[in-house]
Amino acid sequence: MTSRPLMRLKLETSATEVIGSTARGTLSIWPIVGGSFDGDRLHGDVLAGGGDWVTALADGTSELDLRVTLETHDGALIHMTLTGVRDDAHHYFRTLPRFETAAPQYAFLNRLLAVGVGEIGPDGPVHAIEEIL
Amino acid sequence: MNTRLLMTLQVKVATPQNIGAVAHAARRTAPLSGGTFEGPRLRGTVLPGGSADWQLLRADGVLEMDLRATLRTSDGGLISMKSFGLRHGPPDVIGAIGRGELVDPATYYFRTTPRFETSHSAYLFLNRLITVATGDRRPEGPIYTIYEVL
Repeated sequence: MTSRPLMRLKLETSATEVIGSTARGTLSIWPIVGGSFDGDRLHGDVLAGGGDWVTALADGTSELDLRVTLETHDGALIHMTLTGVRDDAHHYFRTLPRFETAAPQYAFLNRLLAVGVGEIGPDGPVHAIEEIL
Repeated sequence: MNTRLLMTLQVKVATPQNIGAVAHAARRTAPLSGGTFEGPRLRGTVLPGGSADWQLLRADGVLEMDLRATLRTSDGGLISMKSFGLRHGPPDVIGAIGRGELVDPATYYFRTTPRFETSHSAYLFLNRLITVATGDRRPEGPIYTIYEVL
């Protein structure tokens, strides 16, 4: 499977909102208050207002369900969603980002699938996202 | 991105159900009448019951695919598979696929992102995997080569 780098996404989160034990697992919401993204074809900032709905499952893994708005350096808005798996016991944190935009210069994002490798850095989550070719 | 082969999945498509024009797109449901899968760690068949590909042809020409299939392994395990994907390409290539012609899969983009759920102890590793697949739309149905993202 071939891929090429799309962007490195850094997220700034505020205090986690723990909803608690639900029918599927333990739900926590990580509010996203900012951040940045940088790649060869696009770069810009993460707008405040997004979040990651994280459900810790009984098997020790967590399911991620992230929604955020990206603003490129030239003023385009990109709706980004991401689902993923975080399995700390196996050092596995992989995601499937998707993008929607109306900006013609970034319309290529509407037509691609991508995979992310996540890590929790000292300043918050960082996702290295690659386009699936 | 490091990956390794998980399985090759070949599905048979029954007569599509054309739902038609819906908001901003055209919807079509392609029931799966069966199929097989084979990989280093699992193999078996596709159950025809609840297995289908719910497709949306968007205004920008991209086909969004939402495939759900139940897989039965050779040792009787049931695996639920859900896979979101995209397919698009030059109009002549997409037209040839529509006419049921054999087309080189390198000439169009057909990628999907399968996720799996099972309770069978031999296949619990699937529950925690992110995978990506390349598709090859043959006249009788697609062949997906599915890779585990390492």
